[in-house]
Amino acid sequence: MSQLSRMFLGANSRDGLWTVPLIVALACCAGLAFSTAEFASSQNILNLIAQAAPLILVSIGQMIVILVRGLDLSVGSVVSLTTGILSLNVPVYVSVPAVMLAAVAIGLLNGISVTTFRVHPIIATLSMMGIVQGVTMFVRPSAGGTVPPEILALVSGRLFGIYMPVIWVIVAILVAWKVVHGSRFGLHLFAIGGGETAGTFGIAEQRNVLAAYVLSSCFAAVAGIFLAGRIVSGDPNIGTQYAVDSITAVALGGTQLAGGIGSLHGTVIGCALLAIIANGMNLLNVSAFIQTIVKGLILLAVISLQPRKTIGL
Amino acid sequence: MTMQPLVQMTSVSKSFGGIAALENVDFQLLPGSVHALTGENGAGKSTLMKILAGVVQPDGGMIRKNGQIVCFASPREALDAGVSTVFQEHSLLPNLSIAENMFLGKEPVTKFGVTDRVRMEREVKQVLYGLGLKLDPATLVGNLSIAERQFVEIARGISARADVVILDEPTAALNAADVEVLNTQIQSLKKQQKAVVYISHRMEEIFKVCDTITVLKDGRNVDTVPVSSIRPKQLIGMMVGRELSELFPPRPDQTRGEVVLSIDGLRLTAEATPCSIVLRRGEIVALAGLEGQGQRELVRSLVGEYVPHGGKVAVRGREFAFPLSEERGIREMQALGLGFVPEDRKLEGLFLDLSLAHNLTIGLHSRHFELKPAAAHREVIANSMKSLSIKAARPSLPVNALSGGNQQKVLLGRYLALGADILIIEEPTRGVDVGAKAEIYKLLRDYANAGGSVVVLSRETLELIGLCDRLYVIHDKHVVAEMPAKSATEHAILEAALHG
Repeated sequence: MSQLSRMFLGANSRDGLWTVPLIVALACCAGLAFSTAEFASSQNILNLIAQAAPLILVSIGQMIVILVRGLDLSVGSVVSLTTGILSLNVPVYVSVPAVMLAAVAIGLLNGISVTTFRVHPIIATLSMMGIVQGVTMFVRPSAGGTVPPEILALVSGRLFGIYMPVIWVIVAILVAWKVVHGSRFGLHLFAIGGGETAGTFGIAEQRNVLAAYVLSSCFAAVAGIFLAGRIVSGDPNIGTQYAVDSITAVALGGTQLAGGIGSLHGTVIGCALLAIIANGMNLLNVSAFIQTIVKGLILLAVISLQPRKTIGL
Repeated sequence: MTMQPLVQMTSVSKSFGGIAALENVDFQLLPGSVHALTGENGAGKSTLMKILAGVVQPDGGMIRKNGQIVCFASPREALDAGVSTVFQEHSLLPNLSIAENMFLGKEPVTKFGVTDRVRMEREVKQVLYGLGLKLDPATLVGNLSIAERQFVEIARGISARADVVILDEPTAALNAADVEVLNTQIQSLKKQQKAVVYISHRMEEIFKVCDTITVLKDGRNVDTVPVSSIRPKQLIGMMVGRELSELFPPRPDQTRGEVVLSIDGLRLTAEATPCSIVLRRGEIVALAGLEGQGQRELVRSLVGEYVPHGGKVAVRGREFAFPLSEERGIREMQALGLGFVPEDRKLEGLFLDLSLAHNLTIGLHSRHFELKPAAAHREVIANSMKSLSIKAARPSLPVNALSGGNQQKVLLGRYLALGADILIIEEPTRGVDVGAKAEIYKLLRDYANAGGSVVVLSRETLELIGLCDRLYVIHDKHVVAEMPAKSATEHAILEAALHG
């Protein structure tokens, strides 16, 4: 392989293969801009960002867990639970801390199952998904309620002339960049995902993995706050799709499910691509059922076609 | 003047699952010295060093560092106290750059709390430059060759600002020029009054690099002596507990029995000169010669793993024409009591994830009808483990948890359990430590004395001379000489191979 193609395929970096999804995303944009009148409108692009924002938030958390060879299926129910708590007709200074506390507790439980009790991440978080979904049903059995106006203000309108969803995305990316690519903690996540020997370098594996699950739940909770502001009510089923969608987006962005290889920009690109595809299918009047099938196919295709562990002999 | 030792380990003990790995071992490191730690595989060298490096916690004993009693709960603590280790297993992380690997766990950060890549790469570049390595510190370790990785591992160990550096088999993946570079580094560590522990199986390195030798055997101290006072032969004697010549069992003088296996007019390729070989009852015959002259193809023709051009073979009177047909080959030969022990026991011989017991009896199982319930063969397993003195905590242990010598014995045991009376063995002692070598030689000799016949193929000529009764020298795909092993010398074999 030539140096250029190696670079293109990400063989020389641990960022994973993010160039191809970027090109596909740009191609989709171009195609949709030509084939539909609405796609390139500023209203649609704003919609697109608002649609992508919660997915980006959840996927960032998902990626952090995947980097340490984990998986978090409970993110969706955390999103639902969050909207449920926020629609409980209590002041924000009670509900928002409650939401974050719940997220930390859920993340800790996930992490403890995986590290201390050595439960497979899929099983651990699948159980947690059921538990949290059940609790959500107690908090809000059916969609409804109202969300305090403060949260509404946080997600709509503009700040310094910039639309709020855009600000959410930018802040999320900045925070996540600091955590994943700009800190010792982030490097240690990569190290833990890279091999069994991270412990011999003096890295506290258990603690870091625990922190990864807590972060994942917290990002999901923040996504829930955003969504609650958008729909101005609580909905026990709003998060259902996020477990699969976030894993798809992360994988689509070149992060390897085997851990240790991946990047924030890849994940953001993956989320954008997924959002563009969904948005495009809406504009082209594709049935919602078919959309679900397409998403499933994308996940399967990405995982099958992803070059495994590109780094190494 | 007596120097205060940098490290003083006193009566350190450690056992794993009831089996003692170390018993009251003392070890002392002086500043400015290179200390060789030797012993057979499983003598406890690695365990001792893992204790010093904080990877393993001792059951008993005391460690003093610079006179102070210390207790390392983790590799990090040991490193902070100045003990740095380069382990044999590759521990570098492939998805991190060289610089990140070298600094992992103690990365510098900028004032914004971001890992300081520039600084890491600059400092690592200097370290690598000092080792004569022209590697970009930003390269991911996964993209390096094995030798380069080994060097990075060494660089990491010696750049750690530690005063004790443990090198476990540092030269395993290095070529001669690299070894030279390493030696220079060791000398410079020595000049800085640091102590180096050097674990190696290569005698010439030990005698070239080290000042002091400590020999361990079966988890106990044998002796600690200055290198200048000892010769390589004595050292081997100390490691094994006997001299090299005692490695081989005595050869009986009795006359041999009838022919059990004869190869007649075998031509390995269309152009090759035909060759013939006979194997008698109670005899060990070797195929000697330079590497790659067709020894391997010859024995593999017998089990259908190689397709020769022509000839025939007779096993106790039953004749087969070469090449053996597909459905014949190893299954039919096994039914005739012939066992084939391949060279690469891990790839071709053993089922590594299966238990020791299963590996021993799998040949017995393959004889039965597939739907017949499998017998446990407990007696066979117990007998084999006893008669072959296979050292393992229990028969259900996966075979890859055993040492090389024990693995080889399991493989041999499989065919002995089948009642094979002809064994064809490639490299009987590859990757096996000296003590187990002697045991395997004795096993084979006992087997021959009991009426079995063996064909051995080995790269180690001395092994063939010591072990066998008769040698065939193979060169250019045919037999060029035949000689009794008793009077054979390395020189004579080489001469026959080259002038045959």
